[in-house]
Amino acid sequence: MINRIIRQIQRYKGWFGGAAALCIFLGLYIGLLASPPDYYQGELVRIMYVHVPLAHTSTMAYSVLFFGSIWYLWKRDPLVDNMCQASASICALFTTLALITGSIWAKPTWNTWWTWDPRLVSFTVLLLILGGYIMLRRLVDDPVQGGRYAAILAIVGGIDLPIIKFSVEWWRTLHQPMSFSTRGVSISEDILVPLTLMSIGCWLLFAYMVMVRTQILYLTDLLHAKKGRFLSQTHFSQTTP
Amino acid sequence: MPFFKTIRWVVWKDLISEWRTRETMSSMLFFALIVILVFSFSFSMDQDAARQLIAGIIWVAFTFTGIIGLGKSFTSELQNDCLESLQMCPAPKGAIYLGKVAANFLFMLSVEILLFPLFVLFFNLDVIEAVGTLLIIFSLATLGLAAVGTLFSALTVQIRAREVMLPVLLLPLAIPVMIAAVEATRGALSGDPFSFYSQWIQLLIIFDIIFTVVSFWLFEFILDS
Repeated sequence: MINRIIRQIQRYKGWFGGAAALCIFLGLYIGLLASPPDYYQGELVRIMYVHVPLAHTSTMAYSVLFFGSIWYLWKRDPLVDNMCQASASICALFTTLALITGSIWAKPTWNTWWTWDPRLVSFTVLLLILGGYIMLRRLVDDPVQGGRYAAILAIVGGIDLPIIKFSVEWWRTLHQPMSFSTRGVSISEDILVPLTLMSIGCWLLFAYMVMVRTQILYLTDLLHAKKGRFLSQTHFSQTTP
Repeated sequence: MPFFKTIRWVVWKDLISEWRTRETMSSMLFFALIVILVFSFSFSMDQDAARQLIAGIIWVAFTFTGIIGLGKSFTSELQNDCLESLQMCPAPKGAIYLGKVAANFLFMLSVEILLFPLFVLFFNLDVIEAVGTLLIIFSLATLGLAAVGTLFSALTVQIRAREVMLPVLLLPLAIPVMIAAVEATRGALSGDPFSFYSQWIQLLIIFDIIFTVVSFWLFEFILDS
């Protein structure tokens, strides 16, 4: 018996993928070709249409992981654990891409690849926590125990990330104020339309990727359970009618 | 078993086994000595440079030695299946956690108090007026490290590559403690008025409260199997 939610995912995930492709295509077209260059940054501003949505999506992905982990510790639903595992690795992907595009953008505007800006530091720490999460899952032999441990790490990390951001912000402002604030310009419609399209596109892409990955993880676990390798057999108890 | 009695017994058990083996404290002390020596070789500091860097050096040494102590806290339970006895023990799991935090806090703080005179000696620090404030800062930061560290020590003890995973998981989460402890220590050592760095002490207190409560709640899910 395959879980009802997995069947729903199988039926509807294509729509999410298609909508994500459409939004990202339109957003990239308007952002990279149709919209005017920025008054201050010129053509350089165009990387914003890629960078900002990626960064937003990675914070959203971590909140999915955070609340999913609380849900998992509470209800012990193995499907939620699969979803957490899926969103962690995809969150790591989006965070890495956000850091790389941010670095590329920082070189011409701030004249440096890297600076100890609070946002950069907290994204790097986010990436470190996600790396720890992915490593932790691989190092525990019992998958149920691994899911529980990973959920604990995700919850502690989720509570810690705002404190990290806050403390780094405090630390930097006491030492040296940020010398550049190029984004202080109020956003006009020319920027807002492609930015919104790209954000929605990235969110949909994240949802689509999580769906596919959750499905794969769920089916892998189910296969192991059927082969009898899985001593706890949680998936059986969840799925048999 | 009542809650506070359990805490007392866990602390007592850890202190007795430490007194009989002297394993944790001695390894922490020797490691910390080596760290101090490595730092003094690698920077070759004069008086001014020392004053700039010393707060960071102190906290790198304290954090790394703390991680050694935290790791030992639960690996020592692996002998004779003590960990399983703790899991099966009909005591509240939160009390076991608080007992372990208290024991780790005591080990870490005593090593710090033993080491600090060596820092004063090797780096020619002038600390007479600041001793009281420094003790408060050390206690608060050590409590924060012990609160998160005990949780992750219990978590990593049952997985493969535990010696590597404890610092990998713990250090990113301990960043606020590190920043606040270094800034407060620097302020206290350079003789600034208290109001200049009291905000960092507030941050330490907030971190301690949040993470003691959160870890207290999450610890149940680690020992539960």
